[in-house]
Parts: sequence; structure tokens; C-alpha cells
Amino acid sequence: MTPVILEIDTICGSLAGELAAATGISPMSCYQCAKCSSGCPVAGRGDLRTHELVRLVQMDQRQAVLSSRFIWECTSCQTCVTRCPQNVDVGAMNDALRAISLREGLVAAGTAVPVFNEAFLNSVRKRGRVHELGLMATYKLRTKRFFEDFDKAPTMFKKGKLPLFGGRVRGKSEREKMFKRAGEGGKP
Amino acid sequence: MKYAFYPGCSLDATAKDFQVSTLAVAGKIGLEMPELENWICCGSTSAHSSDPLLADALPAQNLRAAKGQPVAVACAACYSRLKMANHHIAGDAAVRAEVAQVVGGDYDGLTPVRHMLEILGEDLRQDIAAKIRRPLTGLKVACYYGCLLSRPPEVTKFDDAENPTLMDKLLETAGATPVDWPHKTECCGASFSITDSSIVVDLSDQILSMAQAAGVDCIATACPLCQLNLDMRQKDIETKYARRYDMPVFYFTQLLGLALGCSASEVSLDSLIVDPRELLQSKGLLGNEVKR
Repeated sequence: MTPVILEIDTICGSLAGELAAATGISPMSCYQCAKCSSGCPVAGRGDLRTHELVRLVQMDQRQAVLSSRFIWECTSCQTCVTRCPQNVDVGAMNDALRAISLREGLVAAGTAVPVFNEAFLNSVRKRGRVHELGLMATYKLRTKRFFEDFDKAPTMFKKGKLPLFGGRVRGKSEREKMFKRAGEGGKP
Repeated sequence: MKYAFYPGCSLDATAKDFQVSTLAVAGKIGLEMPELENWICCGSTSAHSSDPLLADALPAQNLRAAKGQPVAVACAACYSRLKMANHHIAGDAAVRAEVAQVVGGDYDGLTPVRHMLEILGEDLRQDIAAKIRRPLTGLKVACYYGCLLSRPPEVTKFDDAENPTLMDKLLETAGATPVDWPHKTECCGASFSITDSSIVVDLSDQILSMAQAAGVDCIATACPLCQLNLDMRQKDIETKYARRYDMPVFYFTQLLGLALGCSASEVSLDSLIVDPRELLQSKGLLGNEVKR
């Protein structure tokens, strides 16, 4: 009798396939041992735990995955992928899921990470470096979280940890082009 | 060995004490590492969680500028991003070609990237041992490595992923007493300090509480975010959980600098939020030169 061979791309759903194509990781390899969740610093606080997220990806539950808080609470600490017996890189998977979630307008309510990331990368594009005080000001203006950690500012100023002016590197127009080419996927 | 030093954005601001103490240590042992000219940000977490190609291109731009010279890094997050870009570019011809398009020139992904802990703790430990002027005798330290130095191990190839000992050995060489404790590589919450500080307050509390249980006098760190979170959030932990640590949190370079004979100001001790003077004086590690 000829054995039945199940190719991974014939059994995985569209989301798992999309992630595999974008990042080279294979969510379908996960066999739910939950070692990732055991070591995850935020598994206890999110709406999901790490291995549950991977299971939802396997089951092609796009809405639940892309609108979860968990993908935005991941601290990218790399513990899961370091310990995974199947080499499922959940950190890289979360990066890709964040991008899809943002693109499809499914970002969980109250998540400030995308605003922070945009302000951060804008600073890099314009100045070449991140000016932490400027970044904080932009972030607070955009999220209206003016009073969070307000008490920290005087100490940080006094300690010289928040200089008013940050470094700038020449070559802004070249950097603008670099960001644009990256956005286009580095095509020749 | 001469290195091109890549400080990264934090070392210009919130971690300026890391920069000052790293250069002070380098000066004491004659380690040459001029700053990489016109370096740009590595992209950090914001780049890799937004655009994987940009996340490889920003480090590649810097590593190309080093023109083959080994790059020395102090910030664990920068180190992680530079190593990750090398891993992707050297391991995948398609990524290498895309990155070349983005940065406008080919880069092979082979420029060596080394963390200050590797340079000082692996290559130069014997030289350092001979130059210790003020051994850190009686100072019990929890060496805290955080996430990004040792993970993922295939990429960073740094010491041991679960139980690194490079910093322990280095500070032991400096005369301190590092302790065995289980939270060496737990996560502090990193940049969530800005976007959701409750994550950082909780995770930092767990790390501080374990360090306290291990009976240490202080914590030594090797990452700007680890240091800032563990130091600055102690007040918030006290407000939220009514637990007070008063635990000084140093950069390992500050302690090493003191042992090599640097003054308090040469390693920027005034920049720390939890005041370490009483502790250091009680161990006879500070002269009268400390000014606030």
C-alpha cells in the first residue's frame, strides 16, 4: 500500500501559509508542548498564551489572532524560540502578525505600540538617530498620555539622561530613499 | 585588537553613564575603540516589528561603514540587531540582495560584532586582572544579562543561553562576589516602559525580588533598558506593591571601572537613581571624591 503523504502546504490554512512565506517559519510544526508559554514573561497577563496563539494560527483563526492583545504585548525576549523543540520562531511570527494586524486595521484597542513604533522610525528617518526626549514628546502628543510617568521627567533631566538636543547624522535625503526602497521590498 | 565602537542612541541619553563608564574602562586598559563615524540607529524593536527588511538594512548600513573592522557594542539591543542582520544577510542570498538594494551596496554579513562583555570578559580578562587597583571585596552582586545578549543562541552565540557566566567571571576578577541566582536572563519588559509600563513594573519587581532573596548588595547590568527599568521603576513598585528594595543597579562597566581605579565621576555614579554611595562606602570602595 502506498503511504499517504501530507505536504505541509496542503494542510495548513492561509494564515500559517502567509506567515511561512513571509518569514520562513513553520507554525504548523508546533505540537503544543507549551514550553513557550511556560517561559513567556507576558503569558500570564495577555488574552492568550504563546502556544494558544500558535494553535489559533494553525486553525486559521485570523480575526482572533490579528485582533489579540498578545501579539502587541510580546516583549520580543526570544525565550520561546530559544526553548522551542520544533524551532517555531514565535517572536518573528509576532513581528509578521503585527504588520498584518496593522495593515488590516485589526489592532487591539488601547494598544499604543504602533504609534510608538511609527514615531521611533520617523525619528530614525529624519535624524538618523533616536532623540529619546523628542520621541517621548511625539508619542505623548499622539497618544494623549501626558501624565504617565510625568514624575520621572525632573529626575531624568537632573541626572542628565534626557538631553534637550539629540544627535543628527547627515544624509537625510539618502535615508528617505533607503526607507522608501525598504518599503518596496528591496526590489531592483 | 582595535574596534569601531557603535554606541547606539540610548548611550547618548538615558544610558550616558554606560557610555562614560565603558570608555573609562577602555581607557584604563588601553583598549582602542574610536566611535564609528556617522553611525545611525539600529532600528531596535520598532524596526523589526514593522518592517523586516528595514530591520536588516539599518544595521547593515552601519556594519558596511566599519569597512571590515570588528564592531564593539555596549547596548544589548543594538548588539542583538547587528548580530541578527549579520545572521540573515550571511545566511540568505535573497536577503543579501534585497539589503544591497536598500542600502545601495553589497554587504556580506561577515563583519564581526562583539559585545563589551565578550571583549572584556573573554579576550581581556587576564589583562584586567593585572590592572585591578581597588578590588570589589565583599560586594555581593547579582549579574543580570537580560534577554538579548544570549538569545537566540544560534544568532548571538553569546556564552550560554540559559546560564551565562561571562559577567560573573569578569566581576569576580574585579574582586566582587557574584551569586548564583535564577533570573539572570529573565525579561525586564524593555521598551514597554513607554507603551505599557505596567508590564515593566511587574517584570522588574520579579527580578528585584529574586535578587533580594539571593541576598545581594546590588545588581549589575549590561543593557540600557535593563538598567533603567530596574533602577527607575523601584519607586513605582513601592507605590504599586508596597515593596521597597533600595537596590543599587549598576552597569557592569561602572563596577569594573571602580575596580580599575576610576573615580566615582569617571564612571558617572551620579547618574544612578537609587543612590549607591552608602553601599560603596560601607565596602570601602569610595574615597572622599564623590560629589553629588
